[in-house]
Amino acid sequence: MKIVPIFLSLLNVMKKELSQALRDRRMVSTLIIAPVLQLVIFGYAIDLEVDRIPTVVCDQDETPASRNLAQAFFADRTFRRVADVADADAAQNTLETGDSATAVVIPRGFALQLARREAPQVQIIVDGTDATRAQVAMNAASQFLLLHGIGGDSGARPALATASLAPRVIYNQRLKSPVYMLPGVLATLLLNVTAIVTAMGMARERETGTLEQILVTPIRPAVLLAGKCLPYTLFGFVDVLAILILGNLIFDVPFHGSLAVVALGSFLYLFSTLGIGILIATLSSSQQQAMLGAFGFVLPAMLLSGFMSPISSMPAWLRPFTMLIPMRHFIEIMRGCLLKGAGITDLAQQLIALTLLGIAILAISVARFRKRLT
Amino acid sequence: MRRFFRRTKAIAHKEVLHIVRDARAVYLALGLPVVMLMLFGYGISQDVDHIPLAIVDQDRTPASRHLSTSLVAAGDFVREADLVSPDDVEAAFRRGSVKAVLVIPFGYQRNLARGAASQAQLLVDGSDGTTATIAMGDAAGIAQATASGRAVRASLSAGPRVRVRFNPAMVSTYNMVSGVIVLILSMVASLLTALTVSREWERGSMEQLFATPVTRAEIIIGKLIPYAGLGFVQTLLVLTLGSYMFELPIRGSLVTLFTCSTLFLLAMLGMGLLASVIAKSQLVAVQFAMLLSYMPVAMLSGFMFPIENMPWWLQGLSMAVPGRYYLTALRGVLLKGNGLHVVLGNVVALVIFAAAVLALAVRRFHRRLM
Repeated sequence: MKIVPIFLSLLNVMKKELSQALRDRRMVSTLIIAPVLQLVIFGYAIDLEVDRIPTVVCDQDETPASRNLAQAFFADRTFRRVADVADADAAQNTLETGDSATAVVIPRGFALQLARREAPQVQIIVDGTDATRAQVAMNAASQFLLLHGIGGDSGARPALATASLAPRVIYNQRLKSPVYMLPGVLATLLLNVTAIVTAMGMARERETGTLEQILVTPIRPAVLLAGKCLPYTLFGFVDVLAILILGNLIFDVPFHGSLAVVALGSFLYLFSTLGIGILIATLSSSQQQAMLGAFGFVLPAMLLSGFMSPISSMPAWLRPFTMLIPMRHFIEIMRGCLLKGAGITDLAQQLIALTLLGIAILAISVARFRKRLT
Repeated sequence: MRRFFRRTKAIAHKEVLHIVRDARAVYLALGLPVVMLMLFGYGISQDVDHIPLAIVDQDRTPASRHLSTSLVAAGDFVREADLVSPDDVEAAFRRGSVKAVLVIPFGYQRNLARGAASQAQLLVDGSDGTTATIAMGDAAGIAQATASGRAVRASLSAGPRVRVRFNPAMVSTYNMVSGVIVLILSMVASLLTALTVSREWERGSMEQLFATPVTRAEIIIGKLIPYAGLGFVQTLLVLTLGSYMFELPIRGSLVTLFTCSTLFLLAMLGMGLLASVIAKSQLVAVQFAMLLSYMPVAMLSGFMFPIENMPWWLQGLSMAVPGRYYLTALRGVLLKGNGLHVVLGNVVALVIFAAAVLALAVRRFHRRLM
């Protein structure tokens, strides 16, 4: 008998929250445009395979042999010839300005040394500012020099190895970035919609004094919280669906798992991010504080989630903390579901972790919310 | 002119009072960059290592054991599990407990002894692209070295005539920390100002401001000054911490460094003001500021993803991202010791950008209610 009025007041709070959220058209469009833009840029921008490294050639020898060597250097797409310069200083210069990241210097007498079967000296200079790129450039350059018998230990060709390790990528064979970035984009987006918007929205009520007005009505605090959270949960679900469909249509992101597991994972994840939003709101007295506080959580969470850099390469003391980040579990669930076709038993560990985190965070935030009311 | 200064000063004074009154926000604004710098610098490493590896050794011979131990000994992989049959591989990947599996087939040693080609297989989980790319590159080198009996690291180390300049040890932290400085400044600066104008709209105090003779430009500039001060403190903090904690070298001149930083800061503060002027509510302003400043800097400045690998239209778009110029200038000054004449192009781009954004903020700031 008491269920009906509670339900009614819940509906009323939700209606108020929705009309408030939808009143500002720009809010709605940013919430939709931002993730789509992010997905598109991520999809196209990220090409982790380092290639086309801008390279200058300084050919002081100017013989057919040296020209051949320079050409062979650009045979695969690792390096891209951007300029030819006359002397080593000019090559150095392009490295300094950042116009090139690698310089190949073929000294005078290269062809002569080659003809005399001496090991000719060719110098390759790599800009180390970007460590990842430098590593790739260096490996490729070393291999090239070894292969051409230049400047090696004795100038001799290395013995060809008989054993080989054939690497094979599974699940995302062509290592397409949208495919593994999509779960991360989703997680960030949901965190933004729920945690930041909820925290600031609740702080706004406090700031403008409308929270007191609601509190004098017979609505219970729990109902108030639920009513405030549910519209955003809905928003979140719509976003998840939109991103999944878009990712599938534009970037061929596969969907091997079951929709039920995705929905369950998203729901549990939203549970904890909303809890974080409420928690931050109870800790701050202005929208500015809420915003800064929310970012104070969102940014470290993004960093520690394994979205951008693998958790396994974080220092050992930091790795356990990533277990406390809901985003980490959500990304693992999504990656497993979308790409590997993992089922509910495969992902049990992550789902349980999300449930526990959600309950803990929500319990703390509701307790704090009640305390602030009395 | 004197009136202009007096009124601007009054607005700036009012804004300072706002900032000082909310001390907690100041702590957060100063604490956030520090936390991010620490996390990025210590926690995030582009050097992918400790990749969890499972081994399926069907050969069970000295040669196969040698291969698996040298793969692990090279330091990039951690032996997480030993699986009996290739059928278990799928499940291990699905659980996400391993990122790579080394499968050594039956007859590996025999083939090797006979001089025939013997193939072991490394399966890499492509759902994490960063790890996959690096794991594949490293594994190929290790296997080659193991087979030809050389030291495992040898093939990975530099050949005799390849020289790395500017960052010889190829410490990814330098790269990371300089990128993070750009990211932090872009975010914190634009978020700080994003709330200032929109707050006045929301609370209705904008009407009171309009009743006074202050002009739009005076409001914008007056609000800019205190936050520029706060932003400058953040810049100092981040640069100092960066160079102390991560031994980031400062090879160029400090004057050039701070010229570039200040220009970038102004551009980002202007972005926040622009978002604030358009949005009229704090919540929307924050979203706008993120969309205008933080996201482009994070994705298109060349910090995380190399610009030369992007398609042409994104490369063109990245020209409009001030973070790109600042990052180039910052890395040049810090790591290469570039002088002002080398980074001049970047400085000019930053000046143009900052001026354009601030002018646009004033233009879009309509002196009427709703």
